[in-house]
Amino acid sequence: MGTISLRGVSKVYGGARAVTALDHVDFEVAEGEFVALLGPSGCGKSTLLNLVAGFEGLSEGTLSFDNAPVTRPGPDRGVVFQEASLLPWLNVWENVVFGPKVQKLDRSDYEPRAREILKIVGLEAFHEALPVQLSGGMRQRVGIARALVMQPRALLMDEPFGALDAQTRLSMQALLLEVWQKLKTTVLFVTHDIDEAILLADRICVMTARPGRITRTIPITLPRPRSIDDLTSAEFNRFKALIMAEMRGGHH
Amino acid sequence: MAGPDTRKTTGSAAKPSLMELAGERLGRGLLAIALPLAVLVLWQLSGKNGAVAGGALPTPDRVWNAWLVWAFGKPGPMTLSPYVGTWADAIYFSAMRVAKGFGLAVLVGVPLGIIIGWSRLAASMVDPTIQWLRPVPITAWLPISIAIFGISDFGAVFLITIGAFYPIVINTTQGARDVDKNWIRAALMMGASQWDILRRVVLPAALPSIFTGLRIGLGIGWTAVIVSEMVAVKSGLGYVLWDAYYVGRMDIVIADMVSIGLFGFLSDWAIVRLERWVLKWRRLQNFNQ
Repeated sequence: MGTISLRGVSKVYGGARAVTALDHVDFEVAEGEFVALLGPSGCGKSTLLNLVAGFEGLSEGTLSFDNAPVTRPGPDRGVVFQEASLLPWLNVWENVVFGPKVQKLDRSDYEPRAREILKIVGLEAFHEALPVQLSGGMRQRVGIARALVMQPRALLMDEPFGALDAQTRLSMQALLLEVWQKLKTTVLFVTHDIDEAILLADRICVMTARPGRITRTIPITLPRPRSIDDLTSAEFNRFKALIMAEMRGGHH
Repeated sequence: MAGPDTRKTTGSAAKPSLMELAGERLGRGLLAIALPLAVLVLWQLSGKNGAVAGGALPTPDRVWNAWLVWAFGKPGPMTLSPYVGTWADAIYFSAMRVAKGFGLAVLVGVPLGIIIGWSRLAASMVDPTIQWLRPVPITAWLPISIAIFGISDFGAVFLITIGAFYPIVINTTQGARDVDKNWIRAALMMGASQWDILRRVVLPAALPSIFTGLRIGLGIGWTAVIVSEMVAVKSGLGYVLWDAYYVGRMDIVIADMVSIGLFGFLSDWAIVRLERWVLKWRRLQNFNQ
């Protein structure tokens, strides 16, 4: 449950001057695995995530989720957007139960779960607040809660902490580690932050731009459970040096 | 801007007292009526024996007296003038026509605008027709309106609907087109159907634009009701306006114009209140910027 598989996937943005965002990418995410896509902006990492989410169609190759071809977005793949993208006219609670509600699930089924998840992300006192009344970090907590409440088989996160200040980002990373270590959902996590990728992921796929390709896959063997204290360990720095060398090499 | 008398009651400097707030509102109110008041005074002073411009126009005091009779006069059995105690009726007829015509324009314009803004197919099918018909002014629709509906209430309602329809449909279309792509994606990801997206994402996202359209549409609705009552209906503020002009009652003409302005303003104010209530999320957003 929650396996992602790309075979020879290309994505070309059309027009007179066609841009190849992804060029024959082979890529797998196993059940319960946390994979980070790491690379500079414009390397196609967000494009790859959008294809898996079903937001865009591929130009070539095959893409399947749990052995079925991906044709459209759906609640089996919860997406967390960079700017949270909450519906600004709905309050926190309404944003979180939007998914189950439009899926016409039974209230008694999802309401206790939504309350529980909002408690886990630390927003139990903010059910009535509108997104505009929240800080960036709190908004993203709602974004995560709204994806988790659907009990997706995979969580697709597109630079979810990229717009947050350093301190908030650390607390969000700690929260995500905690939640993921409990749920063990498959996660595809797009980031340009090396520290973040090492801290969170089981495996890092380094991407380069023009054309977008995965140039190297690095398993992160840091023991679990991890915490933000790992950011300063010797082993962490060994991985960091390795990846920085890889990324510098990729820029030539 | 607060009046000097309210300043004296200030208790603590940090938190404005109720008296201070009331004083500030009063001050702003005084500022707002200063200009019309000055015009009124000049107008009154430039008159001689209750007439201005060589007798073409009455002075404000005569307009006021005419309005008092028009609004509150009790017609006796020998009263021949139609301007005794009939003001409320005129207001009622015009306002009901605006309400009906505007309501119809909203019922047609908002759903149509949402669909045009959302679907490329609908846009290419319907939008060109709307754009071709739009330059035809409502006055040009009068002959057709009278030919179809005769001298009837619905002729006026028809014109108001046409006039209010364009700004409503165009602004709604614009709002539905400008919806943040990620809101749609988020809703799709959460399992929303096309209907859910239209109702729960596109419509609320378009509401700020829709309200702009409603305000413009309502203004045109008041124009349309006056025009059609002047020509095609035998009641309401527009009818009184033209009729009073024919019999040389310029005091009633001016009282009528002021009434139109007042009720146009009040109906616009009602929409603004509704907007503030419906778009609370938007107001907070703007305040935070």
